[in-house]
Amino acid sequence: MVLILVGVTVIVFSIMMLLPPGQRVSVYVQDERVNNQQLEALIEKYGLDDPAPVQYWRWIKGVFRGDFGYSVVAVTPVIEAFKNYFPVTLELVLIATPLIIMTGVWLGTKAATNKDTAIDHGTRIFAIVGYSLPTFWLGLMLLMVFYGLFGLFPPGVLSNEGRDVLYSGDFQRYTRLLLIDSILNWRWDMFWDALYHLILPAFNLVLLSSAMILRLTRSSMLDSLGQDYIRTALAKGASKNLIERKHARRNALIPVITVSGLLFAGLMAGMVITETIFNRPGIGLWMADAALRLDVSAIMFNVLFLSGVYVVMNLVVDVLYAYVDPRIRLS
Amino acid sequence: MDALLKTEDLKTNFYTFEGVVKALNGVNVMVRPGETYGLVGESGCGKSVTVRSMMRIVQEPGRIESGRIALFFDEKDKERGVDIVQQSDAYMQKLRGNDISMIFQEASTSLNPVFSIEEQIGESFEFHRLDEMLRETVEELDAEIQQGKAGFLGWKKFQRSQLARELASHTAYDNAVEELDAQIIRLESTDLQGNASAVAALNKKREGMKPFSLSTRILRRVPILRRYRNRLSKTIRTHIVELLRSLGLPNPENVVDRYPHELSGGMQQRIVIAIALACNPKLLIADEPTSNLDVTIQAQILDLIRKLKEDTIESVIFITHDLGVVAELCDRVSVMYAGDVAETAAVKDIFAKQYHPYTEGLIASVPKRDQKGELKPIHGTVPNLVTPPTGCRFHPRCPKAMDICSQVKPETIEIAPEHFVACHLYTSEDKA
Repeated sequence: MVLILVGVTVIVFSIMMLLPPGQRVSVYVQDERVNNQQLEALIEKYGLDDPAPVQYWRWIKGVFRGDFGYSVVAVTPVIEAFKNYFPVTLELVLIATPLIIMTGVWLGTKAATNKDTAIDHGTRIFAIVGYSLPTFWLGLMLLMVFYGLFGLFPPGVLSNEGRDVLYSGDFQRYTRLLLIDSILNWRWDMFWDALYHLILPAFNLVLLSSAMILRLTRSSMLDSLGQDYIRTALAKGASKNLIERKHARRNALIPVITVSGLLFAGLMAGMVITETIFNRPGIGLWMADAALRLDVSAIMFNVLFLSGVYVVMNLVVDVLYAYVDPRIRLS
Repeated sequence: MDALLKTEDLKTNFYTFEGVVKALNGVNVMVRPGETYGLVGESGCGKSVTVRSMMRIVQEPGRIESGRIALFFDEKDKERGVDIVQQSDAYMQKLRGNDISMIFQEASTSLNPVFSIEEQIGESFEFHRLDEMLRETVEELDAEIQQGKAGFLGWKKFQRSQLARELASHTAYDNAVEELDAQIIRLESTDLQGNASAVAALNKKREGMKPFSLSTRILRRVPILRRYRNRLSKTIRTHIVELLRSLGLPNPENVVDRYPHELSGGMQQRIVIAIALACNPKLLIADEPTSNLDVTIQAQILDLIRKLKEDTIESVIFITHDLGVVAELCDRVSVMYAGDVAETAAVKDIFAKQYHPYTEGLIASVPKRDQKGELKPIHGTVPNLVTPPTGCRFHPRCPKAMDICSQVKPETIEIAPEHFVACHLYTSEDKA
């Protein structure tokens, strides 16, 4: 696991190193009117001309000290910026992931148990549409229809009034997750406000990502419904409903768990588009800006963080596996 | 002659992409009370489909097309029997695993890999012997509460009252269902016009009935509170352990907590048998229970089934392609070929004299003790049942085939007392 993370940093760092020092120095330039000599001085000062391994070593030493450098885009140290941006992303992902999994598993089960009926065909059309639509297009369409036509579900994280409350000083930010903080502050108006702004981006993600879970659930449900143990359960006198809910689904969910773990990590990475469209200041928006303005520290940090999420989610999936499938359990 | 179960002109088809597989072509078999009935034939002859149809567990894309499957379990229905093809799914659920149960071939795939043995056998108790289990648990709790045994008394009282409530609502449900079933069967037995819609309405009502009252249904799902049923699980567990011990499984207390993959093939097969026997069925169907087991385990399993037949079960249907097992275990036997019953007789009669060429061929292809020369196999293979041969389905492989065999399906006749055969050799005019 650690090796994977180190590998990822090496690869990304190498890519960043392909840029000439003269471009990377732009990060440190505050004033537009600097001459070449000053630039040279800056390159010298930050060691941007040093051999790549030396620079990598300098960066990784900082990482272990908890110093990820300074993000020019966020105008704060990377760690501070992360503390600001991450809760916004996490909130959306935490809301969307269960919705995606529940929708996918529910529709997938329905499709499998009503194979070759109208329900099955309907869900399959839904799945193909969800698979094929690009995020940015659907996001823009949703915004256009709901916000543009009806004035519902505005982009952003809070309404103007909500933002006033947020920065008024009375509002304590315990977890930085807006929904939880508003409950802790007992400000239900804030809670509804934040939730209202979450609906459209979450809906967007559900429409697009549940298709994958749906297709997987359907096929693995069909597979397990054809197994011999289903016949045993039938012969025992189990009802159709119980067989579908218990005997078949428990077996069918094993592959779904793998995908769900990766889905969570994938959603974090995919936030670049969703957050840009819905104007939510999370790590996705930050990353998009950082990439456009060559904010090396921010990019490196986010890549490291996202690969960390992937690694952790793989671990979680392995643990869940053992919970669902006794064949994997260690004795 | 009285019967326990009887099929009349049973037809089951499978609707596959290649076409309609006509797996059963009008099967007539009869199982008598107290006998072990054998079904033999090559693979793909429709033996398994026949017994699965009897329980109505033919899986997709199979469907029972027509025919009657009559059960004569109840004294009241001795005359006509209950035609289970017409009954509702809810009725079948009550029947399956309770009155008729089934042992499957390949125990390893017949058990659900993600549930423990306790959960899998326990389901049989939950489905069919819940009243009994609840009553026992409540009595136990009563005794404990009276004695003032150590433990959290309030919780025990709650457990007791809740289990008693569940028992009451379930008993009420059982009674209502029984009444409804009797009503449905009575209506069906009188062939009056307009009865069909009444039966349909009653069946619909039957499907809609819930086994527990609303409060119980809710409570059974509330986390923590639903643990009142833990006590019930404990009772069921002791019964499971007892059952497994009676089946000769070593160390049953340990086995109940295991998962199927942790057990050997013979143990898995015993678990499958335990699931089938949990509710003391009247009819046990054994679908090649000894295939894929090694010979010593086979002998053990066969002994076990024979013993069970003597002690607890009324009749057994035994499917096999091993004629030795048939000779040893069965009273009567039917030989099936490609979805038809070729010959039916008592075991000793059929080994003494075979009328149908297929039976003859089957028995000739088994090595004898005084075997001289080569074995005589039946040439060819079982036909593809999407396009079955016309007339007698055996005629392309039959050494004695005549012209009529490819045109007309032979009638079943009683050629000797209690010996039935379906072959043109004995019915057609122009005998070869």
